[in-house]
Amino acid sequence: MWSFSNIANLVHEVLAEHFNPAITLAIEMVIAGVSVIGLFAILGLVLVIMERKVSAWMQIRLGPNRVGPKGMLQSLADTLKLIVKEGMTPNGADKLLFNLAPFIAMIVAMLLMAPIAFAKDLQMWDLNIGILYVSALSSVTVISILMAGWSSNNKFSLLGAMRSGAQIVSYELSAGLSALAIVVLTGSLQISEIITSQANGWWIFKGHIPAIIAFVTFIIAVTAETNRAPFDLAEAESELTAGFHTEYSGMKFALFFLAEYVNVFIMCSIAATLFFGGWMPLHIGNWHKFNHVMDFIPSSIWFFGKTFFLIFVIMWFRWTFPRLRIDQLLDLEWKYLLPITMFNLLLVTAVAILGWHF
Amino acid sequence: MKGSTIVFYLLALLTLVCGILSVSTRQIFRAAIYLLFTLIGIAGIYFWLDYQFIAAVQIVVYVGGIVVLIIFSIFLTQQTGERLPRQKPGRKIFSALAVFCGFAFTMLQVFQHEFTGTLEEGAQPSVQNIGKLMLGTQNGGYALPFELVSMLLLAALVGCIVIAIKNKEEAK
Amino acid sequence: MFIKNYIKNIFSAVKSLLVGMKRTLYYFTHHKEIITQQYPDNRDTLILPERFKGEVVMPHNENNEHRCTGCTACELACPNGSIKVITKFDISPDGKKKKAIDKLVYHLELCTMCNLCVEACPSDAIKMAQTFEHSVYDRNQLTKTLNNPGSKIMDGVE
Repeated sequence: MWSFSNIANLVHEVLAEHFNPAITLAIEMVIAGVSVIGLFAILGLVLVIMERKVSAWMQIRLGPNRVGPKGMLQSLADTLKLIVKEGMTPNGADKLLFNLAPFIAMIVAMLLMAPIAFAKDLQMWDLNIGILYVSALSSVTVISILMAGWSSNNKFSLLGAMRSGAQIVSYELSAGLSALAIVVLTGSLQISEIITSQANGWWIFKGHIPAIIAFVTFIIAVTAETNRAPFDLAEAESELTAGFHTEYSGMKFALFFLAEYVNVFIMCSIAATLFFGGWMPLHIGNWHKFNHVMDFIPSSIWFFGKTFFLIFVIMWFRWTFPRLRIDQLLDLEWKYLLPITMFNLLLVTAVAILGWHF
Repeated sequence: MKGSTIVFYLLALLTLVCGILSVSTRQIFRAAIYLLFTLIGIAGIYFWLDYQFIAAVQIVVYVGGIVVLIIFSIFLTQQTGERLPRQKPGRKIFSALAVFCGFAFTMLQVFQHEFTGTLEEGAQPSVQNIGKLMLGTQNGGYALPFELVSMLLLAALVGCIVIAIKNKEEAK
Repeated sequence: MFIKNYIKNIFSAVKSLLVGMKRTLYYFTHHKEIITQQYPDNRDTLILPERFKGEVVMPHNENNEHRCTGCTACELACPNGSIKVITKFDISPDGKKKKAIDKLVYHLELCTMCNLCVEACPSDAIKMAQTFEHSVYDRNQLTKTLNNPGSKIMDGVE
């Protein structure tokens, strides 16, 4: 049976034969970087067409159906258009920060890819503090939005940036606290340990009601943190034209767009890892035969299946709910989500100490 | 030169250059952004040292928290687009002197301190160890300072609520 | 009491959100509900909604007769003056003068399809048609005369 670690070892051995260790390491890093960029491109294409089709079907429309079979190449055509377009920099803008902001958004998204386990043995950096690392870096995204909003020298952009700042700073709390619920149950922040702890069942089933509450609050907080509707005040089209990326065009706009989708993917994969066991197949306690059958489905299919299901749920939110007002948004966080997650954390701690989970 | 040394020098260069830029730029928003890169550089050095927990905390607290707060207060108070006026030469000299004194003091401490090598293995900076030490009550545990800091934070929270609370009679 | 309301709030909010999500999921899974018309492709089989309004027409019967008495109610009802009734006096066989229309001029380029003229008409002489492919190269072609040449009023319409 082949596995990703075998492939990685093979590549490493082949390289080590021909080059000295430093160059081997450099080449391996380049390979990892190129594969991340490739994954970004594919994710962008897939998620954009998925969003457009999902939105169309939910609104009783047909959606893109001209380019390619059933319109599936639409996002490729869009990308081509964005590449050809001119990347404008407005006259009154702070040119350095204006051009830096989309790249910061992109770099943060790339760094967030590091601790995600895509399949069994396919993880770039299994660091000790996986979940903390993700929640720490995802808070840096707001900097790129603030930079873009301020340096555009445009009132709409600035308003969008302020809103998204207030939003991300507050929703980070409940996202972190709900992730902490699973960390308490597992007793570790490491992604690989969180996944192996779910070998006899996913936490959402093992952790009873507290895990379900944590999952719901996590999904809500994540939707807010990635600036997606119904929390998309930062780019509310009807109020702020496009919010913080009003002035961006061409590839710089595409980078923001891509970063948003990649962030959605990353957050959903984190949710899948925490609550649905990442690449871990559906195992139920001691039903060894059932577990064995489930093991035949490759782990990468499990991971991407769960992640794309959660992405679909977030898209489902977007095309169902109306946008919140800023005061409703902050009310929801500070008056509802935060107390609930804190109470839930207490509950989870009790469950973990008393050993009520399976 | 080893690869990791090159990485260290790159991180140090980022930290120092952005630090200097953040005090020398005349646009206050840019100063905040340079400060951000300085703090990210320091977090990078922590990652380089394999102190991942400290690095992540550095990013959460300083990059995600403090710098965002600074940027917010700049948005709310300053006319951000304009350049600040040039400082008087007296002030410049004074602040340069202060920086030099601080630098000299730190360097003096570093050079006077005798670093003794040890054969014992260093403690693993894993989250479990940090947590146990942070909340431990015996030999070297930090439970008391931890609780004191939490009391301080609680007091700050209560103070915020008292300031922000609406007085119904006054509102009428 | 406060806690009770708070918890009740949360549950009712979750319930109402789930109702909305159920509806969109229904549409997502039932593609036959899609109402988009792929217009130029299905031009021959295009089915327009009953209440779609394309332009004002005046129906004539097989004897080239219409129901318009020339009362100018439509002209008065039109908010932007797209109808102009030009009347004449017919001399009936018994020597009486009778008011009738010479031309009913309709400016399609001014019309907003508001249906007020159709509602104002006392004798149901005009109605809204569903034709909508109105583009022409010359603006003058949009000024139409609704009554056919040589047509006359139907018997019994006063």
